[in-house]
Amino acid sequence: MSVPPWLSDLFWTYQNVVVSLGVNGLLALSMYVVLAAGQLSLGQAAFMGLGAYASALLTLRLHAPFWAVLPAAMLVPVAFALLVGGPTLRLAGVYLAIATIGLGEVLRAVYLNVDALGGALGLSGIPEAAPLWLIYALLAAALLVFWRIGRSRVGRAMEAMRSDETAALAMGVNVRRYRLATLVASAALAGLAGALSAHSTDFIGPNDYGFEPAVSILSFALLGGIGSPIAPVVGAVVLTLLPELMRGFAELRLILNGVVIVLAVLFLPRGLVAWRMRRRAA
Amino acid sequence: MRRRDVTRALAALTVAAALPARAQDAPVRVGLVAILSGPNAAYGTAIRAGVELALDQVNTKGKRIALTVADSGGTKDGAINAARILIGRDKVAAIIGPTLSNEMFAMGPVTNGRGIPTIGTSTTANGITDIGPFIFRTALPEADVIPVTMKKAVSRGVKTIALMYANDDAFSKSGFEVMQSAATAAGLKILTTESFGSKDTDFSAQLTKIKALKPDAVGISALVEPVSGVLLQARQLGFGTETLFIGGNGSNSPKLGQIAGAAADGLIVGSPWFIGKPDPANQAFVAAFRAKYNRDPDQFAAQAYDTLFILAAAIAHAGNADPERIRNGLLRTDYTGVMGPFRFDAKRNPASAEGVVVLEMHGGTFRIAP
Repeated sequence: MSVPPWLSDLFWTYQNVVVSLGVNGLLALSMYVVLAAGQLSLGQAAFMGLGAYASALLTLRLHAPFWAVLPAAMLVPVAFALLVGGPTLRLAGVYLAIATIGLGEVLRAVYLNVDALGGALGLSGIPEAAPLWLIYALLAAALLVFWRIGRSRVGRAMEAMRSDETAALAMGVNVRRYRLATLVASAALAGLAGALSAHSTDFIGPNDYGFEPAVSILSFALLGGIGSPIAPVVGAVVLTLLPELMRGFAELRLILNGVVIVLAVLFLPRGLVAWRMRRRAA
Repeated sequence: MRRRDVTRALAALTVAAALPARAQDAPVRVGLVAILSGPNAAYGTAIRAGVELALDQVNTKGKRIALTVADSGGTKDGAINAARILIGRDKVAAIIGPTLSNEMFAMGPVTNGRGIPTIGTSTTANGITDIGPFIFRTALPEADVIPVTMKKAVSRGVKTIALMYANDDAFSKSGFEVMQSAATAAGLKILTTESFGSKDTDFSAQLTKIKALKPDAVGISALVEPVSGVLLQARQLGFGTETLFIGGNGSNSPKLGQIAGAAADGLIVGSPWFIGKPDPANQAFVAAFRAKYNRDPDQFAAQAYDTLFILAAAIAHAGNADPERIRNGLLRTDYTGVMGPFRFDAKRNPASAEGVVVLEMHGGTFRIAP
């Protein structure tokens, strides 16, 4: 089977965009799972960084095979989530948001100051070991799982928490357990995305996981909506493609990008995909 | 203005698409990846200005080089996407950029894997050219600049030195390590090493200790704000002209004179380029830059300006747009530009620091150190 050179050139040109779409889709789902249960937790970038650093160190220092690196990249942020989950999940609303942003900044300072983690220079020379099909297979699997959960009893409990936590508690929903479970799921997905992205772009640095990426990940879910798991992924696709489509506008790029987001939030307050999952009667 | 740029880019694209790639007399297309949007856009804009000024001059005798500019936005994904578009869609034969070392660590493997010569003009971190055989840089790392400053200090009779540095910032810390080894290599005796935080405002404990040791010189590796603070307090504590203050690259900023004023007088610092260098090539560059852009060039513009000439010479040597031949041309570079004489060493880094000038603070501005 031979591919015409113009087609392989075209794919080569946009290869990194295609990878980013998949990785950002996973990050959007990692944001979705906490927001769907009404938790404004913004630690996704921090968890992503933990996954990226853990996977990069395993690959670079221990030469571990990629199939062993991936689960480790999920376990490290999960362990961290379990550790910090106890104290932080007592917080709610903006206080939780502030605490989780703080976590990200603390980790960034650690990456910057620990020489073994590369300091400000980051870690480079990470092999491009993440196959494209795997990224999309994992994204599809995550979507499918969230879809099934969304239509189940668990999904209903999460939606109840999102609407009114006290009422959900009164209805017999184990709010504490749900909070921790969504945080752990969010950490695992973000860690996975971190490992996949680290193993497709050769390099990671402390500033890839600071405040700015945390806000970008939140905006995937804000733009797309959280009515169904597909919505934040659509948000991620739009926000990843938008700056690339606007390359022709040179310096106006960031401004136009911002205008599109403001218009979307103003006129589509429930997200680009406002449609909600249907559930069978219980 | 912007719309005209877009139209021009579209027109260039249409023309490029219509022309058969095998046309012999077609200009060689090169790409520039720079930060043109976001908080670090000032660096990319200066680099673009330098490259475009050089391009005008290279193309005076017929269009030899065509330039396509791509914005990286200062992110690693932005730099990778820009490079892939330049290579895959625009078929450039070589790339100048990106702006930051971290961008190069992500973009370099992509361009190197495709065999496209890539020249960083401002990427000073260690290990940049280890990415691969197609990665070059024209930026002088601090490790090349500080030894020249130390040599100047020795020529002024300095024998002992005390070192101070900010220990909470990677740039200052690596600068300190360079300073330490350069001082030892220059035969200076290091009397003490004192550290502080970048946001500190009180340095009197460290300075009092240093004053008691009576060193001939004090080397400071930190960003310009803490350096200014150290100098102001040192003068209050009675450090006079008998002590030579030596700055790292962080001190190479006009802000030093604005903040510290007369307290900074006498400090020396090495710089890869200086606007007041008297040689005719540099004066012509500064005049042309002012005429075209109505402002003063900076170090980033100067480095980018030289780099396009170096690339143009390599393309002339190659005779066509073959990236492999252009790479060989780059390896044979022997060019004297506004930064001084330039060649690449075996590892594709600048071979010599002959172009480095040592500057001295005098009345709140820099001049070439006597």
